[in-house]
Amino acid sequence: MAMLEVENLRLYYATRKGVVKAVDRVSFTLEKGETLAIVGESGCGKSSMAKAIARLLPRNVHTYDGVIRLDGKNIMEMSDEEYRREVRWRQISMVFQGAQNALNPVLKVGFQIAEPLMIHEGVPKEEALARARKALRMVGVHESFADRYPFELSGGMRQRAVIAMALITNPKLVILDEPTSALDVITQANIMNLLKKIKREYQLSFIFITHDIALSSELADRVAVMYAGQIVEFTDADEFYTNPKHPYSEKLMASVPTLRSEKKLEFIPGAPPSLLTPPPGCRFHPRCDKAMPKCREEEPPEVEVKERHYVKCWLYA
Amino acid sequence: MSSDGYLLEVKNLRKWFEVRRGFFSKPLWLKAVDGVSFALRPGEAVSLVGESGSGKTTLGKTVLLLHEPTDGQIIFKGEDVTHLKDKKKMMWYRRETALVQQDPFGAMPSFMTIYRILEEPLIVHKVGDKKEREEMIYRALEEVRLTPVEDFAPKYPHMLSGGQLQRVAIARALILGPSLVVADEPVSMLDASVRVEILNLMREMQQRRNITFIYITHDLSTTRYFSEWIYIMYAGHIVERGPTQRVIRNPLHPYTKALLAAIPDPDPENRKRFREVPPGEPPGLINPPPGCRFAPRCSRVMERCRKEEPPEIEVEHNHFVKCWLYV
Repeated sequence: MAMLEVENLRLYYATRKGVVKAVDRVSFTLEKGETLAIVGESGCGKSSMAKAIARLLPRNVHTYDGVIRLDGKNIMEMSDEEYRREVRWRQISMVFQGAQNALNPVLKVGFQIAEPLMIHEGVPKEEALARARKALRMVGVHESFADRYPFELSGGMRQRAVIAMALITNPKLVILDEPTSALDVITQANIMNLLKKIKREYQLSFIFITHDIALSSELADRVAVMYAGQIVEFTDADEFYTNPKHPYSEKLMASVPTLRSEKKLEFIPGAPPSLLTPPPGCRFHPRCDKAMPKCREEEPPEVEVKERHYVKCWLYA
Repeated sequence: MSSDGYLLEVKNLRKWFEVRRGFFSKPLWLKAVDGVSFALRPGEAVSLVGESGSGKTTLGKTVLLLHEPTDGQIIFKGEDVTHLKDKKKMMWYRRETALVQQDPFGAMPSFMTIYRILEEPLIVHKVGDKKEREEMIYRALEEVRLTPVEDFAPKYPHMLSGGQLQRVAIARALILGPSLVVADEPVSMLDASVRVEILNLMREMQQRRNITFIYITHDLSTTRYFSEWIYIMYAGHIVERGPTQRVIRNPLHPYTKALLAAIPDPDPENRKRFREVPPGEPPGLINPPPGCRFAPRCSRVMERCRKEEPPEIEVEHNHFVKCWLYV
């Protein structure tokens, strides 16, 4: 049994202009200790997927349904209160984009890291603070920084503190939404090293959301490519980075600048479609140079082209 | 043009900012750019690469005289422009140079149409009459491929996507026919797939018009597609400069090596190995370390590095490095 199973997950938002289908019938599975990278251009629903799994929803939710099984238990059936008590932080925690700027400026770093422990696990303050110091040490920040305020830490250190906060409750799954997009490359590499170490030592599962394909390969065991609210390709990292199958994945890969190999850069003409009125048939067909008449009319099925390699495209059906 | 064919010569340029902590305290100096020299010929493109706080933006803006240089010299087309006081001369320099900023939304007045935004520099510099200006604006929009131009001209910035708006910014920068353009992180706010498009467009226009181009970026992996030169900045110094391929294939400075090692290419093997990156962070620029500024993080540091600032050495033809290892 997979640790995380997501089936037909939908998250639609109601806006004045209509219903935005940000996550539209998405299914995938994730094993314990594995990292799933979710890649795609901005506006294709990556962050909404993170929010849907962590059940951090805005007010204007139109539809939110499907199945999310965590170790076999369907957490979609839980009430918000149950979810808050049983799942959030205790089993699923998250590090959001720009999280290094989300620390409360008037609270000491150590206290903020300890907070999830006190709130979600009822650990007494003294013990929680002691564990916060330990967590800081684990992410490579000297524990004396627990007594400092966020402004006294550099961007990289703040990011490490936020990661410590996500780990302190020993969750099974950590959702990382663009965790390094505001950091410099060397700092980013340092954080990636840290995440690799944590992954190895604690057998944690990560969902790693990023628009940076090259960076995604730093952590990913499995890769899901999102386009216009749907997963269009889902496969193992070894397969994806060497042999992407969906025309969108191919194009995405061809647009990645590389340092070490010669290649001509390509770009994908046009922009992702509006999630209000996605095109009929395959949502990528207006930008696809392999589009066939069928693609314009019928939505392609998810085809298993190889073992554990799924592509949502008529080319393979 | 100066006698040796350089369009721009920068000699030992410094830009220090005054920082006061409290009203009566002695001023401190933040040494954002601290003794930088280079020279560029017409039509050359250089990528100025560094992390945030390395002084790359300050260097770009100081070269354009958007900051008053603290010390050193800037020679443009054979003329010393370091401290231009004459208004006419300044107008000339403004016309000869241009800036493309990082955030196209912030760089465009939201109450002006695209047409008006492009007309503004022409009006300021008294170029042409109304009819001629219209022609120039339409031609500029065509050149950055915002077609049909009649559709785009009357629009307001908020009606355009980031990529389209960055095209307008490029059109605006080039409309007066400058010979030197500084582009400060022009694609870092755009989606990966759009980045390539904009970089290609800039490169194409740069080559067609023989513009000298300074491309400021933190992203080494895009430099290969854009420039023949790379300058690597660290804590206010250029620590390595040379031909793009040479610097990428054969980096000399330990910092450049670290920077290159930190950048992944898409490769499933990446997840199985750790990257060798230096610990710590760049130093503060108010009291930078004496000697080499990278010394505190450098794995090959020697006694000398902590005391004396290294000189710039030409290790191979046109490939310079500021490091004691090569002395």
